Amino acid sequence: MRRLRARLGLGLLVAAFTASVYWVFTRSEPVIRHREVTIYFAHWQIERGPPDGINAAIKRYEELNPRVHVVQLQIPGATIYPQWMRSNLAGDTGPDLMEWGAWLPGEKDIPARYFAPLTAELAKPNPYNRGTSQEKIPWQDTFHDKLLAPKRDSPDPGQIYAVNITEVTLRLFCNVELMKEVLGRVVVPRNFDDLRKILAAVKEFSRKTGRPISGLAGSRDTTRAVAEAVFVAPLIGVAQRLDDAGMLYLYNRQMLAAYLAGRWRYREPAVLAGLQLVREATNAMKPGFIQLRRDDAMIEFLRGQALFFFYGTWDATSLRRLAPFKIQPMKLMQAMPDDPEVGRFVVGQGGEGIGETSLSMYLNKASRHPAEALDFLKFLTSVPGNQLFTDASLWLPAVNGVVVPEEIRNFRDYQEGLSVGQAPYDALGTEVSTGWDRNFYHLTGDQGSAEQFAAAMDAAMPAAMRMDLNAEMRATLVLVKPQDPVIAGWAGLAGEKAKTRREEAEASQTMSEGLALQMQLQLAKTKPAP
Amino acid sequence: MPALIPKLPRWGAAWLGFALPLLAGAGPPADADIAAAWQLMAGSLARDAYTRLDRIPGAPTREQALAQAVVVIDYQPVTPDRLQEAEAVFAELARGQDEIADAAAYLQARLYQVHYQQPDPVRAAALYRALAERHPDSHWAQLGLVKLGLLLLYALPEPAAPAERIAAATALLPRIKETKLQRDLHLQIAHAGTFYEQPLDTVLPHLIEVDRIGGLVGQAPEDLAIELGELSLRAGHYAQARAYFEAYLRDFTPNIRSVTVRRRLEDLAALEAKAQEARR
Repeated sequence: MRRLRARLGLGLLVAAFTASVYWVFTRSEPVIRHREVTIYFAHWQIERGPPDGINAAIKRYEELNPRVHVVQLQIPGATIYPQWMRSNLAGDTGPDLMEWGAWLPGEKDIPARYFAPLTAELAKPNPYNRGTSQEKIPWQDTFHDKLLAPKRDSPDPGQIYAVNITEVTLRLFCNVELMKEVLGRVVVPRNFDDLRKILAAVKEFSRKTGRPISGLAGSRDTTRAVAEAVFVAPLIGVAQRLDDAGMLYLYNRQMLAAYLAGRWRYREPAVLAGLQLVREATNAMKPGFIQLRRDDAMIEFLRGQALFFFYGTWDATSLRRLAPFKIQPMKLMQAMPDDPEVGRFVVGQGGEGIGETSLSMYLNKASRHPAEALDFLKFLTSVPGNQLFTDASLWLPAVNGVVVPEEIRNFRDYQEGLSVGQAPYDALGTEVSTGWDRNFYHLTGDQGSAEQFAAAMDAAMPAAMRMDLNAEMRATLVLVKPQDPVIAGWAGLAGEKAKTRREEAEASQTMSEGLALQMQLQLAKTKPAP
Repeated sequence: MPALIPKLPRWGAAWLGFALPLLAGAGPPADADIAAAWQLMAGSLARDAYTRLDRIPGAPTREQALAQAVVVIDYQPVTPDRLQEAEAVFAELARGQDEIADAAAYLQARLYQVHYQQPDPVRAAALYRALAERHPDSHWAQLGLVKLGLLLLYALPEPAAPAERIAAATALLPRIKETKLQRDLHLQIAHAGTFYEQPLDTVLPHLIEVDRIGGLVGQAPEDLAIELGELSLRAGHYAQARAYFEAYLRDFTPNIRSVTVRRRLEDLAALEAKAQEARR
C-alpha cells in the first residue's frame, strides 16, 4: 500500500513537471527575451484594416531592427479608450506611442501633460525615406497635408506633437442595387437639394411597398457625422462675422468666447437654418435612432434596410468585406446659395477638408524607449512603411509618394470649399457636445423643431460654453507652466542646437501664455452676476 | 591552490581597501550630473532630473542649487510649500552677480506670474523690472521684458485702457536687443491689438515685423500669413494684402483655408477695381 502511494506521488510529480515544462515552452513568456527593447503602440482603430496595416509595418520594422519588438495594443474606442489612456498615463504605465484626438471628451489636457513635442524631429528628413521620392525632404513636409490637424489641434501654437498615419473623410456609402430599385438608376447627389429629393423618394418607395427602408441608416454616432456635415453651410457667414483676428477660420476658444459675449446664438436665423438641415437629414432615419450606435446603423445598411450609410472612410474596408451588394461611395453635398430652403443664409460652398491626414500618434513623455518609439513612428510614416500600412489596411496613406490602391483612389476626390473653424459647432468642447446630445430630441421627430432645439440650447449653453472655455484656458496653462524648466534646461546646455530649441520653447510659451490671458479676461468680462 | 593573481604588497592592498569604496561611491563628476539634469529638464523629464541631482554628494554649487529649485516647479505634485522653498533658493541665488543670479531672479518672477495658485502680477512685474534695471543685457532680463509685456497687455491693473496697455508694452520694445524676443513681443502686441479691437494700422506694423524676423514654428507661421493678408485687406492696403495672400497660397498648400484665401483674392480684385474707378 505504502509502495503504491509512493509510486502514485512520484507519478503525479512527473506529470506536474511535464505539464510545467510544456507550459513554459509553449504558452508563457520566454525566460530570456530575444529582443532588448519592447515598445507599445496603442490605438482605437479596431475596424477591419488598420490592425492588419500596422502589423504589416511592424513585421518589416522588426526585420530591419532585430533588437526592437513592437506590440500593437488595440483598445476599443468609444467608451474604453479615453479612461484607459487617462489611467495609464496617470499611473506612469502608458504605452510608448498613443493615439489621441482633439475631439475626445474631457481629454483636452492630455498632450500638454503627457506627450513630447516632435517639432525638432519633424524639421529633419526621415531616414527611412532614403532612396524614395521623399528623401532629403523634412519629415513634416512628407505628409500629404504637412500635418494640418496636429498643428491646428496642438495645445501650443509653436509646437507639433503628433504625426499622422492615414487620411480619412466622410462619405455617403450607397447601396447601388437598392438605389436602382427605388429610383430606376444611380443618381449621384450634386447638392443638398438633390439628396433631399432622393430621401423623399425613398420614403415614398417604403410607403408604397410597405418595406421598412430608410434613406439614411440611423444611430447616435452617425447622426453626429451627418449633422456636422450639413449644419455647417449656413454657418460660414456667421464664422466670417465673428473673425476679429482675421484668421479666416475660428478656433474653438474664439467661438466659445463669442457666444459668451452674446455675439451669436442658436436662435439666430442662419443657425436655425443649419438646424433645419440637420432635422431634414435625421428625419430620413428610422424612429428611435438616437438610442442606437454606429454598429447598429451599419447592420441596418448591410441588411438592405437603408439606402445610405454616412460615416468615415475608415469603415469602407469593413463595408466592402461584409456587404452582399455593390457599394458606391458618394459625397454628402452641403446646401448651396441656390438651395430653395436655406440658400439665402449660405455664402458659398463649404469645404470638407482638403485631404486632411489623421490617426494621430503621440510619443509618451514618460516612454522608457523614446528613441526606439520615435524611430518606429518614422518607419510607419515613411514611404515604404506607409505603403505596407496602406496595402494591408486599404486605408489612405498620409505620406506623399505612397501608391494609392485602385479600390480607394476616389476617397481623395475632396470637395473644396470655404473654411469655417477648428471643430463643428456641435463639438466646440465637452460640455457643448454633451448639451447637443442631451437636447437633440427637441430637434427630431413629429414633436421636434429647429426652434425648440435652439431655445433649449440657448438656455443650456451659457454655462456649458463657460465651462468649455475654462477648460481650454486651463489646458493652455497646463502647458505654460512646465515650459519654464524646459527653457531653463535648454539654457543650461551649450551649443547652437540648444539655443535654437530654447528660443522655440520661449516663443511657444509666450504665445500660449498670451492666449491663456485672453481667455482669462474673456471669462472675467462675461462672468454672470451672482 | 595556486594564487590566480600575484600577492599585492601590504601597503598597496591597504591603499586599495581605502580608495575603492570611495571610488565606487563617487560616480561621475558633479558637472556631468548637472549637465545631464539640464538635458533631462529640456526633455520635460523633471522627475528624472531630480533623481540625478539628488545623488550628487556634498554641498551643492550655485548651478546645482538653481537646477534643484527649477526642478521643483514641475515636480508633481506641485505644492505651495515646495514653490515657496524654491522661491527662497531663487531669491538667495539672485543676490549674486552672475548669469545664475539673473536666471534665478527671472524664475522668481515666473513663480508670481504663473506658478503660485494665486498669481501676483504686480509682484512679478516689479521683479522683472528690477532684473532689467540691474542687468539689462542679460538674456533672462530680456525674456523678462517679454513677460512683463504680457502682464502690461492683460494682467496689471494699470494702465487699464487698452490703447494705454498696448502703448506701455510697445515702450518695452527698444529695450529688447535679442531679435527673437523682439519678435515674440511684437506678436503679442499685435494679438492684443485685434483682441481689444484697436485700429488695424496700429496692429499691422507689429505683424509685419514678426514676419520680417521669422523663425516661428508649428501653426504660428501659417496663421501669421493669413492675418497679414486679411488685416491688410480690411485696412485697405490692397497691394500688401495681395502679396501676403499669394505668399500664403505658395507656402502653405494644401490647406483648408486655401479656397477662402482664393475667394479673398477675388474680393480684393473687385475692391481694387472699385478704387481705381473712384480715382478716375
